[in-house]
Amino acid sequence: MLKKEKLVIIGGSAAGPSAAARAKRVNPDLEVTMFEQGRFVSYGS
Amino acid sequence: MQDIDVKTEHRVTKIDSKEKRIEVVNLSKSETQWFSYDKLIVATGARSRRLNIPGSNAKNIFTLKDLDDGIRIKNYIDEKRPKRVAILGGGFIALEMCEAFRLRNCETFLFCRRDLPAGNLEREISEKILKELEENGIHFLAHHEPAAFKMNSNGEAISFETNKAEYPVDMVLMAIGVIPNVEIAKEAGIELGKTGAIRTDTAQRTNLTDIYSAGDCSEVFNLVSQDWVHTPLGDIANKQGRVAGENAAGGKATFSGAVGSAAFKVFELEVAFTGLGTQTARGYGFDVDSQIIEAESKVGYMPGSKWMLIKLIFDRRSGRLLGAQMVGKEGVARRINALAVAVHQKMSVDEIARLDFAYAPPFSAPLDPILIAAEQAAKKIVR
Repeated sequence: MLKKEKLVIIGGSAAGPSAAARAKRVNPDLEVTMFEQGRFVSYGS
Repeated sequence: MQDIDVKTEHRVTKIDSKEKRIEVVNLSKSETQWFSYDKLIVATGARSRRLNIPGSNAKNIFTLKDLDDGIRIKNYIDEKRPKRVAILGGGFIALEMCEAFRLRNCETFLFCRRDLPAGNLEREISEKILKELEENGIHFLAHHEPAAFKMNSNGEAISFETNKAEYPVDMVLMAIGVIPNVEIAKEAGIELGKTGAIRTDTAQRTNLTDIYSAGDCSEVFNLVSQDWVHTPLGDIANKQGRVAGENAAGGKATFSGAVGSAAFKVFELEVAFTGLGTQTARGYGFDVDSQIIEAESKVGYMPGSKWMLIKLIFDRRSGRLLGAQMVGKEGVARRINALAVAVHQKMSVDEIARLDFAYAPPFSAPLDPILIAAEQAAKKIVR
């Protein structure tokens, strides 16, 4: 089986979630992981 | 189910671009782990700047950047019922928080280094903001240089000392700007621009292969000055994020840049701007002239018509609109978007004066305030 390509995103406020969503739409096979240091995501968008 | 693995309370502490992996601390378990990547997007944002003066670590001194900060401020007000609040700074956050603190019945003191609030805007706009603040009971204190906070034995600031005087306080908000979070990127060898934020190209690529950057930690290309600047705004972050995401997934997107538009509310006032201000435009070598007009938001006979002020900043020779700023009680924040388009498209003020804007008495005068301002500005063009 082909190994899935991994996209890692550092930051989960505005740019991070936008990037994650877009990447997943462009390539649904991508394995996307988003790290956020705080308790919430998408708090500043 | 979007199948995106979201890990909150995880802090990334290192980027190893050679091995293509990052070091992550799980904050709830205090565990450190390495994660490998094929593509990486740095969207580490920005953090509030804090003054480093005696007492600035007091526990009733707050900054406001994210939801947790907001919750902390709200909880503190609920528990301690502060009577006197000092806000340091004169930007959007400071001004928006003036209203928030007044709504919680706090006596609010706004301390600025400059002579007017929103000191990055044109003087005429800032003067209207000052009037609105004063009408709403905000004490505005110009030309104050912070010196120290005096603390009680609980570690709470009880007074704020400046170059001019000492003011008793129960709570402090520092709203003096943000710093891009670039430390781990810099350590990994990702190039920073002259602003101190991460340098990217229009595809949001950094200098390192397979590493992209987007949002408040990165620079943005200003379409008017043709310069890379740091404009930490949520709408720009979203656009850059989409481009970074698309490209990291194998696409070919570009974000050509921004003209620098924003709007905010100060009590009943709407404030909005786009493009460059007079001083900034001069700094970039434009031969700048400007036109300011006061107009009504609707036809005068309509009930509830409100004043608004429009300032157009343009190139004296070509008439090209370089920027615009507006303030008023109605129809300002949305109206600026027409001018954002004009700045984006490098339109001249005489072209703008001929635009066909929608008109009906409840929405504007037969000649929209923008058209009146552009018409007046066009008379000043020296060709």
